[in-house]
Amino acid sequence: MKKLFIIALKDMKLIFRDPTALIMMLLAPFLITLGMGLITGRFSANTNSGISNIPVAIVNQDEGELGKALEAVFSSDELADLLEPTFAATPAEARQLVEADQASAAIIIPQGFSASIIPDERGSTSGETVQISFIANSNSPTYSGILRSILDAFLTQVEVGRIGAEVTLSQVAQTGKLTPELAAQLGAVLGTQFGQQSAQAQPIQLENTTASGAAVKFDLLMYFAPGMALMFLMFTVSNGGRTLLLENRTGTLPRMMQTPTTSAQILGGKLLGIFLTAIAQLAILIGSTTLLFRLDWGEPLGVILLILAAAFAASGWGSFIATFSKTPAQVANLGSVIMLFFGLLGGSFFDMSQLPEWVSTLGKITPNAWGLQGFTTLAGGGTLRNISEPLLALLIMGIILFALASIWMRRRGLVRK
Amino acid sequence: MRKMIAIALKDLRIRFSNPMEWAFFLILPVFFSLIIGGSTGAPADSRVGFYVVDEAQTSLSTSLVDALNASTSVRPELKDRQEALKDLDERKVSAVLLLPAGLEWDAISTAAQSVELRQLAGNTNAFVVQQGVQAALGEVSSAVQIASFSTQQGEQLVGFASQAERSAWFSQALSLAQTALQVTPNRVLETIADVADPVQYDPKTNSSIGQMITWVFIPLIGLSGMLAYERQIGTLRRLFTSPTSRAVYLGGTIIGMVLTAMLQMTILIAFGKLVLHVNWGNSVLAIAMMLVSSTLAAAALGTMLGTLVKTESQASGLSIMVGMVLAMLGGCWYPLELFPQTVQTVVRVLPTTWTMQGMLDITLRGQGPSGVVLEMLVLFGFALVFFVVGIWRFKYE
Repeated sequence: MKKLFIIALKDMKLIFRDPTALIMMLLAPFLITLGMGLITGRFSANTNSGISNIPVAIVNQDEGELGKALEAVFSSDELADLLEPTFAATPAEARQLVEADQASAAIIIPQGFSASIIPDERGSTSGETVQISFIANSNSPTYSGILRSILDAFLTQVEVGRIGAEVTLSQVAQTGKLTPELAAQLGAVLGTQFGQQSAQAQPIQLENTTASGAAVKFDLLMYFAPGMALMFLMFTVSNGGRTLLLENRTGTLPRMMQTPTTSAQILGGKLLGIFLTAIAQLAILIGSTTLLFRLDWGEPLGVILLILAAAFAASGWGSFIATFSKTPAQVANLGSVIMLFFGLLGGSFFDMSQLPEWVSTLGKITPNAWGLQGFTTLAGGGTLRNISEPLLALLIMGIILFALASIWMRRRGLVRK
Repeated sequence: MRKMIAIALKDLRIRFSNPMEWAFFLILPVFFSLIIGGSTGAPADSRVGFYVVDEAQTSLSTSLVDALNASTSVRPELKDRQEALKDLDERKVSAVLLLPAGLEWDAISTAAQSVELRQLAGNTNAFVVQQGVQAALGEVSSAVQIASFSTQQGEQLVGFASQAERSAWFSQALSLAQTALQVTPNRVLETIADVADPVQYDPKTNSSIGQMITWVFIPLIGLSGMLAYERQIGTLRRLFTSPTSRAVYLGGTIIGMVLTAMLQMTILIAFGKLVLHVNWGNSVLAIAMMLVSSTLAAAALGTMLGTLVKTESQASGLSIMVGMVLAMLGGCWYPLELFPQTVQTVVRVLPTTWTMQGMLDITLRGQGPSGVVLEMLVLFGFALVFFVVGIWRFKYE
């Protein structure tokens, strides 16, 4: 057992002294994660969603309550992080902001908007439908969609308030206990009162949870960080497999065979070296992103088990690749190609939900897909129970690949006395 | 010139003696373009898809599904619970809306009920689904809100003699509210602004060009590996004992790599045109201007990196890393217009940004040679700066 660890630690030392290996194992995934954070606005936003400070131009030409209420919605504290409203003086100015790509949409509340909905003291409205003008920026379909949703939600409340008052008063009037004049006076009061009440108490509440049933914490880096760590894990394990062939070529492996060390110890030591290096890589990347990006990876025990399982499965792949290659250079090249293929198939580059179904099915052969499933589940508040499937899949993958690699390495006589 | 050609041919032989080189040259770019181009975005229905599990099977749940179907931002698809949650676990869908048994009009009139939206953590599509579902819930529950309010006001203003009278009032209010809500006037007039520089995003075009740039830049940046390899095994020193100048050596190596990259780009352009139906316009000159300037800029970057790396394997790792980071930040993976404004400005210092911009000018904006002159000049500028630094600092031994 001691010999096994000596061989493994020697391999680890060699890899961690190699600047090239360090570039690919640590610097590359770190830089790409950092880049993903930059382009998604994760570091510039006040929220972790990457969606914040949506610029919107608002013009209020309405003299009534509803125009002011809509202005208040867009400048409310609740939406302060999400929106960045600019109050323009004229519709032309607001439109210009959109056309210059400085606003995701313009909202123009025309004169008489409130009067067309809220009845006056005589109980009548202006009679015509006065429309709010929503000018969308075609360059920002997502942002203008969000702005439109907020506007629609406000108008739904307005409509609910109006109809609520109408229905109430028509029913009360039917009883003959209210005069039509009194009903008209009450109309506006009830409408406003109900509009405010209904906004607070929805009869159907939406509970936002993650796949594991925990409350949603939105952070784009919680996807990209494990995605990149798992992709470059494939480089590490193929690089580990490469050292086996390199030692064979440089003669250190045959020399090791001359010592009182069994071939099982040598092979076991080499494979353990790959496994431990993979664990170290994942642990360093997870540790550094936790400290620098303040990522919450979830339940620590789950994270540790997942690191072990992902490193085990990936190391299986690294050993398997080595058995198919004749030279160290072949392992390195094949490793780079497989790293990129697995990165795409396993969802490291793009979320699996955006890829065709056959890609996600094929992706099951990669440790990336299972690892990502596990890490994102934990980050979303999942527990050990929720990651049992990816853990099991990674273990089975590792066992099968290590078994195949051991058999073929022996057949090739790579570690035979 | 003969010497340069001989050096270029020798480099090509060395490079393609490794079968894996074909993976980077053709297989990976084609595979990535096909998968990404064929999957990102669906022009027929750009709404974000998600699953709905309707375990209630009531008129309320049906109304909710109808409201979601009418949404302009989300697209519901009915599934059973097991399949929906399995797909969510496997990240095949971004969100699943669970409508529990017992979700009925009567139930929500007496007490608030909950529906659960299970979603992927850190997923932008799930965020959009959340907004869409919230809007649909608001719409559907409006009638109940109105009926409850009316009943509450009726109790205060008129008073009910019995529970039956109260229920009858509520039922009538619900019916009146549902009728009134169906004929609400459209209070929003939506128009699309004429934006000065519209983003014309097409998944296949963006993916085809983005992947082409990524996989052409990586080997060209890997030119540093070719230089390091010759230096490492000592052939560079031997070469200089022959009557060959340093300029001829560097010229031959760089020209060989640039010509190979141009061939690679031409094949990938043909693939994009024939398979992905990317519209490459009619201006061969504009395409040629971009091919020459972008490959020179990338090769120059490789030459400059050649001054930093000591071994071929170092260069190999560095070129993949630098190539991927440059491609990502240059808008080759995700449209640049989606980046924050500050980042959009900062990434203009990258050659990949200008290459992507020039290629999109040709394909999506239909521009000819005059439209890509600026991009070409900037790329030549990059090439000049990188070559000067690379050649000046190059270690021949």
